[in-house]
Amino acid sequence: MDARSRYLLGRRLSVIQVLALGALGLLILFYGWLQIPRHGEFEKQALSQAVKERSLPAPRGIIYDRNGHPLVDNRKALHLVIQREDLPADPAVVADLAAALQLDPDEVARKIHTYRNAPKGRPLVLMENLDEAGIALAERVRARYPFLSVQVAPRRVYLGDGLAGHALGYVSEVDDQMMGRDPGRYQLGEIVGRAGFEASGNAKLKGVDGGKRVLVDQLGREVASLDREDPKAGRSLYLTLDAGLQKVAEEAFAQEKGAVVVLDLRDGGVLAIYSSPTYDPNLFLDRLSQEMVDRYLRNPVQPMLNRATQGIYAPGSTWKLLMALSGLEHHVITPHTVFYCGGHKSFYGHDFRCDKTHGSLDLIGAIAKSCDIYFYEVAARLDIDQIHETAEKYGLTVPTGLDLPHERAPRVPSREWKRRVKKEKWYAGETISVGIGQGAVGMTPMALARFYALLATQGKEFEPHLFHGFQDPATGARDATSTPLPKQVDTTNPDWWGVLHEGMAHVVESGTAATNPLVRQVAKEVPFSGKTGTSQVATFVDKAHYAQLAKHLKDNSLFAGYAPTDKPQIAFAVVVENAGFGSEAAAPIAAKLIQYWFVDRMKNPLPPPGGKVPDAFPVAPAAED
Amino acid sequence: MLRRLRALDGRLFLVILALLFMGTLTLYSAGRGTTQSGLWLKQSAWNAAGLTAMILLASVDPTRLFKKSLLIYAIGILSLAAVLVVGHRIGGARRWLAIGGQTFQPSELMKWVTLLFVAHRLGSRPMDRVEKQDFLGVVAIVAFPMLLVLKQPDLGMALSFTPILLLIPLMKGLKKRTLAVLIVLLPIVGVVAWKKVLRPYQKDRVRIFLDPESDPKGKGYQITQSRIAIGAGGVVGKGFTSGSQTQLNYLPVKTTDFVFAVWAEERGFLGVLLALGLYGALLLRMLEGARAAKTLAESYYCAGATGIFAMHILVNVGMVAGALPNKGIALPFFSYGGSSTLSVFLALGVVMGALHRARIR
Repeated sequence: MDARSRYLLGRRLSVIQVLALGALGLLILFYGWLQIPRHGEFEKQALSQAVKERSLPAPRGIIYDRNGHPLVDNRKALHLVIQREDLPADPAVVADLAAALQLDPDEVARKIHTYRNAPKGRPLVLMENLDEAGIALAERVRARYPFLSVQVAPRRVYLGDGLAGHALGYVSEVDDQMMGRDPGRYQLGEIVGRAGFEASGNAKLKGVDGGKRVLVDQLGREVASLDREDPKAGRSLYLTLDAGLQKVAEEAFAQEKGAVVVLDLRDGGVLAIYSSPTYDPNLFLDRLSQEMVDRYLRNPVQPMLNRATQGIYAPGSTWKLLMALSGLEHHVITPHTVFYCGGHKSFYGHDFRCDKTHGSLDLIGAIAKSCDIYFYEVAARLDIDQIHETAEKYGLTVPTGLDLPHERAPRVPSREWKRRVKKEKWYAGETISVGIGQGAVGMTPMALARFYALLATQGKEFEPHLFHGFQDPATGARDATSTPLPKQVDTTNPDWWGVLHEGMAHVVESGTAATNPLVRQVAKEVPFSGKTGTSQVATFVDKAHYAQLAKHLKDNSLFAGYAPTDKPQIAFAVVVENAGFGSEAAAPIAAKLIQYWFVDRMKNPLPPPGGKVPDAFPVAPAAED
Repeated sequence: MLRRLRALDGRLFLVILALLFMGTLTLYSAGRGTTQSGLWLKQSAWNAAGLTAMILLASVDPTRLFKKSLLIYAIGILSLAAVLVVGHRIGGARRWLAIGGQTFQPSELMKWVTLLFVAHRLGSRPMDRVEKQDFLGVVAIVAFPMLLVLKQPDLGMALSFTPILLLIPLMKGLKKRTLAVLIVLLPIVGVVAWKKVLRPYQKDRVRIFLDPESDPKGKGYQITQSRIAIGAGGVVGKGFTSGSQTQLNYLPVKTTDFVFAVWAEERGFLGVLLALGLYGALLLRMLEGARAAKTLAESYYCAGATGIFAMHILVNVGMVAGALPNKGIALPFFSYGGSSTLSVFLALGVVMGALHRARIR
C-alpha cells in the first residue's frame, strides 16, 4: 500500500470513526434520558402492570342450632374467574371462550360488559363451584386463554339435606335488581343472603373481605404474593331452632302442604318453623337452570313461599278464642253465658249451620266442642270494629316481627279495611262468618302461634325470633345475648284466662281433638291443650258433595295450642292444607312434636344434621384463598 | 493451537470476552423460568465454537481467503437461492436452511462473504486506478444477495448489507455535490420504498416507531414494554435476575432482538455505559485494523466489517430504546442465534488476521 493511499484512507477512516462514536454517544444520551430523568415514570408503569390487587372473600358466619349443631357451614369451592384487567374485549374471543366453556355467549358478553366497572380485585366468576369435570374443562380452556384463573372461595353448605330450608334461606351473587333498588349498598359480585335468615341476618353473618397484592406475569398468572390482609370471617351464631324438633316437624308433614311453628314460652324463640313443600338451599347457590326455575319459581304450588310467615289462612275455629276474648272484653258474654245450639240458626235472613246439634253450652263447652252457633251468637252481639279492636289489643293485626324477611301481616277485617280495600261498606251479616274464623279473617301460622303463646302465658306478647346469640370466638359457647322481654297484655278480668285454658284442655281430653288416637295417646303422657280448626276453602252443599271435591278444594286442617297443660313450655300452630278436619291432620302433627319434645328428646335425641362436610377438593397451599 | 493463539489481538480478544460474559449472563436471566431456560448453555456452545473458529482464522493469511472469495460468494448466492426454494418457513418468512437437524441462516454469513468479495475486487488495484464502472460492479455484487434476502423477506438483514457500500466514499472521498445529490435523492427513495417496497408489517413498524404509545397493547407493545424495562432500570439497575419486566415476561422477544433491554433493566445506566463503551472499543480496534492493514483488501475488509458491526449495534440498541424503527436485527454477543454468532466470529477472525499480519510486518 502506497503512502498516499494510507494517508487518504486514514483521513476518511477518521470520519467514519467520528460518526460511529458520535452515534454511540447519542445512544448513551438517549438511554440516560430514559433511565435517569424518566426513571420514576417507567418504574411506575412497570409496577402498575405487574402488581395487581386481588380480593379475598370472607367466609360468612357458621349457623348453629340452639344445641350447637351446625346447620350451615362453609367449605372451599373452586370458581373459574377472569380478573377485571384481563377481561377480553374482542367479541370473537368472547364467543370462542363461551363456546369452549359451553356457556351462553350472550350471557358471557353481558357479564364481561358489567364487570368492566367492578371494584378493584373482584373477579368475574364465569363458572361456579367446579367439579372434577369442570376443573378438567377449565384447565383445557386455560391453555388457550391463560387469563382465566381458578379462584378458591368459601361457599355455603346447608347441612341435613335442606333441613329448615325456608328458615335458613340461601345466599347468591347480588343481582342487578338488588343493586338498582339500593345503590351503594352492595358491591358487584358480592355474595349476599337472598332468603330466610341468610337475608334478614346478612349484616350479622357477613365478614369483611380481605385483599392481597400479587405479582402477575404477562399472561396474568400470579407469580408471587406481595402482601395480604386476611379476610375476617363473619360471626358465627346460634339460632333458637332445635334441629331434632325441626326434623320431626318436617317428617310429620310427609307429602302434605302447610306449615308449623313451635315457640319457646320462656322467651319467644322459634324452636321449629317449617313450610311444606320446602326446598334445599344448596340448589340455589348458583345461577338457576331453566329446570330449577320451572320446578321452584314457576310452580303453582309455590315451594319458595314460606307458608309459616307468608301464608294467609282462614283460622277457622282456632279463631274462636279471640272471639271469646272479644265477647268478654266488650261484656256481651260472661264465662257463664249459655247459648242453645239447635244445629242451625238464622241471622240476618241467612241460615247458619253447626256440624252437630250441641244443645245448651257455656263458653267452656262451646270451646271444647267447637260449637259454631255459640260463636255466631257472640259475633251477632259484637260490631266488626269491636272484634278488630280486640285482635289489635292481642297483637293479631300486625306482623309478629319474626326475624325472617317479608313476613305478612294477618288480616283482620274492619269497616275501615273494607272501605279501603274492597271499596264497599261492611254488612252486619259478614260479622257472623268472622265469628268462626271464616270470611275475611286470615292468619299466618306464625301469628296464630304467637296468639296461642299469649293465651298459654296469660297475656305475654313475645317478640318471636330465630337469632339466639353470637358464638363467643374464645369459648365457642353462645354469648349472653339478652332476648327482649315480652310485653304483658292484661285482660279486664284475669280469671278469664282460666276459663279459656279449661276449654282448650277439654278439646284434647274429651273434645274435638280427642277423636284422634295419636292425640289421646300422647296426651296421656303429656297433657296438652289447644283448639282445632277446619277452615273452608270452597263452598259445598253437603257431605256427599264435599267427598267429591278435588283435593285442592278440600278444607284446611288447623290445630293451635300449647303444652304441657299445667305449666306450658311451648306453644304451636299447625296448618295442613286441604286435609279435612283439624283433628284428623293438624292435631296429630302437634302430638308428634309434643311427643318428641317432652319424651323422646330426653331419652333418644335425633342425631345432629350432616356433620362437618369435608372440603370438596384438597387445596394446594399455592392456591390458598 | 498454542502457536495460533499468538495470532490473536489481545485487546480485541479481551473486549470480546467481556461482551460475551455480559451477553451470557443476560441470556441466562432472560430465559430463566421459561421454556428457554437452557438457551444460555446452547449459546455458550455456539460461542465456544465461534471463538475456536476465530482463533483458527486469525492465523490464516487473509490473502488466501481473498483468492477464494469469488468461489465462496458463488456458493453463498446459491445457498440464498436454495433458501427461497427449499427454505424452512417460520412465521411467514423463508430464512433458514435445514442441514442435518440444524437450521442455518445463510444470509448471516452472506454479508461477510459479500464484504470479502467486494474488498478483494476493489483491493486488487491501486486506489486511484479504480473507475466508476468498478463501483457499479460493487453495487451489483451487493444488490444481488440483498434482493434475494428481501425476497425472504428480511428487511433488517438486507439493510445490514448496506455498510459495505461505505467502501466507495472511503476510496473516492465524498464531494459536496455528491452529498447534495444524496440529500435530495434520499427522501425520494424513501417515498418510493414506502409506496412500493415496504410490506404492511414493515410500515406498521415505522408507524409504531413514530408513536409507540398509539397502540400500547397491540403493535406498539414491544417498544412500550422495552422502554419500560430500560427506564425502570434507572441508574444502577434492578440487579441480576431481578427485573420485573424480564422475569414476568412483559418484555417480548427478550432472548434475541430485545435482549439489550434485559441488560438495561438489570444493570441500569451504568451497565449501558459499560456495554456501549466496550462496543466503542471494539469498533475502534477494528478501525485500527483498517488503518494498519498490510494490503488494501485487508484494510477495506476491516473498514467494511466495522461498518456492519456499527450498523448492528446502533440499530439494535437504538431500536430497543425506541430511538430507531423496530427491525429484527441481532446484537452481536448478546442476541441468541447460532448462524449470527458463527458469522460474527468468522468476520472477527479475518480482522484479527489482518491485525496480526500488520504486527509482524
